[in-house]
Amino acid sequence: MSDEKPAGCLGKAMKRKEDPRFLRGKGHYVDDIRLPGMLYLSLVRSPYPHAEIKSIDIGDAMKVSGVVAVITGKDLEAAGLGWLPTFHGYDKQMVLAIGKVLFQYQEVAAVFAETRGAAADGAEAVQVDYAPLPVVADPFTSKTDQIILRPDRDAKTNHIYHWEVGDKDKTATALASSPKKIKERIWFQRCHPAPLEPCGCVAEFDAMGRLQFYVTSQAPHVYRTALALVTGIPEDKIHVVSPDIGGGFGNKVPVYPGYVCAIVGALKIGRPVKWIETRTENLTSTGFARDYHMDVEIGATAEGRLTALHVATTADHGAFDAAADPTKYPAGMFGVVTGSYDFPAAHAEVDAYFTNKAPGGIAYRCSFRVTEASYAIERAMDILADELGMDAAELRRKNFVRKDKFPYPSALGFTYDSGDYEKTLGVALDKIGYQALLKEQAEKRARGELMGIGFSTFTEVVGAGPSKHFDILGIKMFDSAEIRIHPTGAGIVRTGTKSQGQGHETTWAQIVGEELGLDPQNIMVEEGDTDTAPYGLGTYASRSTPVAGGAIALAARRVREKARKVAAHMLEVGEDDVEWKDYKFQVKGVPAKSVTMKEVAFAAYTNMAQNEPGLEASYYYDPPNMTFPSGAYVAVVDIDRETGEVKVRRFLAVDDCGTIINPLVVEGQIHGGLTEGFAIAFMQEIQYDKDGNNLNTNFTDYLLPTSLETPAWETDKTVTPSPHHPIGAKGVGESPNVGSPAAFVNAVVDALSPLGVRHLDMPLTRDKVWRAIRAAQVVTT
Amino acid sequence: MNLQYSGEETITASADVVWAFVTDPEKIGRSLPEVLEVTVRDPTHVDAVVQVAVGPVRGKFKLKVELQPDASRRRIDMKVSGGGFGSAVDLTAGADVVAAGDATTLLKWSGQAIARGPVAAIGGRVLDAQAQKLIAQAFGNVRQQLSVTT
Repeated sequence: MSDEKPAGCLGKAMKRKEDPRFLRGKGHYVDDIRLPGMLYLSLVRSPYPHAEIKSIDIGDAMKVSGVVAVITGKDLEAAGLGWLPTFHGYDKQMVLAIGKVLFQYQEVAAVFAETRGAAADGAEAVQVDYAPLPVVADPFTSKTDQIILRPDRDAKTNHIYHWEVGDKDKTATALASSPKKIKERIWFQRCHPAPLEPCGCVAEFDAMGRLQFYVTSQAPHVYRTALALVTGIPEDKIHVVSPDIGGGFGNKVPVYPGYVCAIVGALKIGRPVKWIETRTENLTSTGFARDYHMDVEIGATAEGRLTALHVATTADHGAFDAAADPTKYPAGMFGVVTGSYDFPAAHAEVDAYFTNKAPGGIAYRCSFRVTEASYAIERAMDILADELGMDAAELRRKNFVRKDKFPYPSALGFTYDSGDYEKTLGVALDKIGYQALLKEQAEKRARGELMGIGFSTFTEVVGAGPSKHFDILGIKMFDSAEIRIHPTGAGIVRTGTKSQGQGHETTWAQIVGEELGLDPQNIMVEEGDTDTAPYGLGTYASRSTPVAGGAIALAARRVREKARKVAAHMLEVGEDDVEWKDYKFQVKGVPAKSVTMKEVAFAAYTNMAQNEPGLEASYYYDPPNMTFPSGAYVAVVDIDRETGEVKVRRFLAVDDCGTIINPLVVEGQIHGGLTEGFAIAFMQEIQYDKDGNNLNTNFTDYLLPTSLETPAWETDKTVTPSPHHPIGAKGVGESPNVGSPAAFVNAVVDALSPLGVRHLDMPLTRDKVWRAIRAAQVVTT
Repeated sequence: MNLQYSGEETITASADVVWAFVTDPEKIGRSLPEVLEVTVRDPTHVDAVVQVAVGPVRGKFKLKVELQPDASRRRIDMKVSGGGFGSAVDLTAGADVVAAGDATTLLKWSGQAIARGPVAAIGGRVLDAQAQKLIAQAFGNVRQQLSVTT
């Protein structure tokens, strides 16, 4: 019947469907929402990191023109809303401070006013009398328990949890008997994802008393459930809408106090309430990243064969345990710290502590502590190479998990799905011209110049995840898709994920197009509306493609099975005589007798015979395993000995994310992640002084790289599909941020190694590098 | 952010006159740099609103000042606390009033301050010098007003 060409579109570099609206300024964000009678919320925040609240006087604030109401922690406590559960599930967080404040910029009171300016003026007029308390600004002071920060908890200690995995005794024995050992404290500094759009919401109770909640959320369904649990509002009376989002990077996963205040204000006052953070509020009070102090020990034979790995981590979680990790994984996926290497024995442990700092911990494109783990092992491998006098690439290659060992059970309990690490490194070495670089480096070193080559051959774990292991607040971490094909062959796919720039509107359409032989340009993607999208756990931790991507493919196959019945009717053969081949249904053995999905779609509404009308299906996908993307990154740097300036001359990223849906989108993800990794390595740190003052409260003190600083990225790929994923895809969103910091630091330390430098903690600012050079020169002279 | 300061002013007035000035809450309040409002609560307490500009941080600070005079030692201690635009400052300062002969009096002062919030973070690079300047200006104002008075 049809002579149309196959419509396969997997692996094609389709331009992003969503970009025209963003490029033309037609995106629709939370702050674009303006409702009749809408009030504005401004939060009073504590300048003290730790202080008793002796009194709060709202009298002057209520006199400010335009101020309508002020609420405090006591008001919320009286309404049973004083605390909200953190997503990790084992702790709770004050909505507005009750009795005392625990970190600088903590929320203390909420002011509602007719205009944004009046709300800010009202917040300024709230008089809070604080009695300062001693400050605990680091986890090592915290662990002494001399000052107990959280008397509200049953356990009178600052220690939050101890988590461990692996064989402790076997690892200790192996380390003790290893001829070569290294041990280093490696700190991954506190940093912040700093999305350009800060967090915000608009809350309104409509005429039916139903909460309409527009919010910057990476996980709208989880928000709906969490809000129902916190507020007691029945879940059917809550409608969460997450419109376009200007970057998330994990920062927009948690439920923040401002959201609860906006809802309470809307309920109490009876008018819509908008709350939009300032930049300072975003940097100082919302989900930060990292702050892991990792003591890494590696044992090896004299020939460089790895024998054991032990990592003991001290984690700074801030004032509340608000790291949104799965319930059984308080330290997230840190167990992937064995990386790409075949360790016969390994043991990892994490102890977390409260401090007087902002809560959070797992944001910034990191898949639940995978970035910390990857950085630790990749940094430590270079230190071991230095100890052994081995080439860093050769040490890695010697200890890779071999291709034929997959599925590979790691010493720390993961089953890696697939990988070909030697191949990926081989591509990287060839493309970067490693031998020529080594020759150049030797010549430069002879002239006293500082040139470094740094590797990172990482493996990450993403796609949380299988329901037997992973949940958020008890909700299993499956994801979902619902597909409707319209009579003309166009369609719509809805998922439980939420794009914040990842390009779902394009890639999801491509999966449907591939599975059904339809034009992805006519497949609309809708996410972020809990009234229409199927329930899902959202977009973070590189889980969208591994989980929702699988759901989309499997939902499409259900559509295809239904379409097969219609096709059989159209082709006048039995259903068993119809096969799906070359993106169309054809009679087995008679390729000329075929119908396209577009033709079947029309028939499904016009000529369905005895078949059920319509063409739609849904699928809730519970993945059997995580996926394990990997990569081989190489950084080449030159350092100015006089100024400490590091110039990243080249950076090559060879990624293996399994089946590639859209190479253009993948490359965009890699460029963005590398740029963030570059920023973390060289610029970004949320610093606190010993008094608990946050010193990086704006973009003059917390830097974002511009096109002027950012290196030109080189990329390449290998493709090792995941054997268990419906289309073999593994996910790539976080790989470049996970893998790149170690490559940068390894390159800088390699450049400085002739001076005796063995390790430097990030960020490698110009003055830090200069001081390291100076210190080395003082020692050597 | 902890800050420490000290200095001295030579004032052309007798020690009695200087002592009377520095124990007067209204006059002390008026000596604060960039002061906008002064409200005396009682003989040892005064509230003041001052204009603050530290680096890019600019706004009004509401301050509560408590005077702790020790007449037997001619020493005045002062506690200042307050803040604004999300920042807070806690300052303690002390001054000894010492007769220096020739109808002059030496006002020897020292103090320490803790700044928190944006004023400490954003103004961090210039805060130390700026705070030193403001405190010196406060005691300089005392000298200037006494010079006018006498």
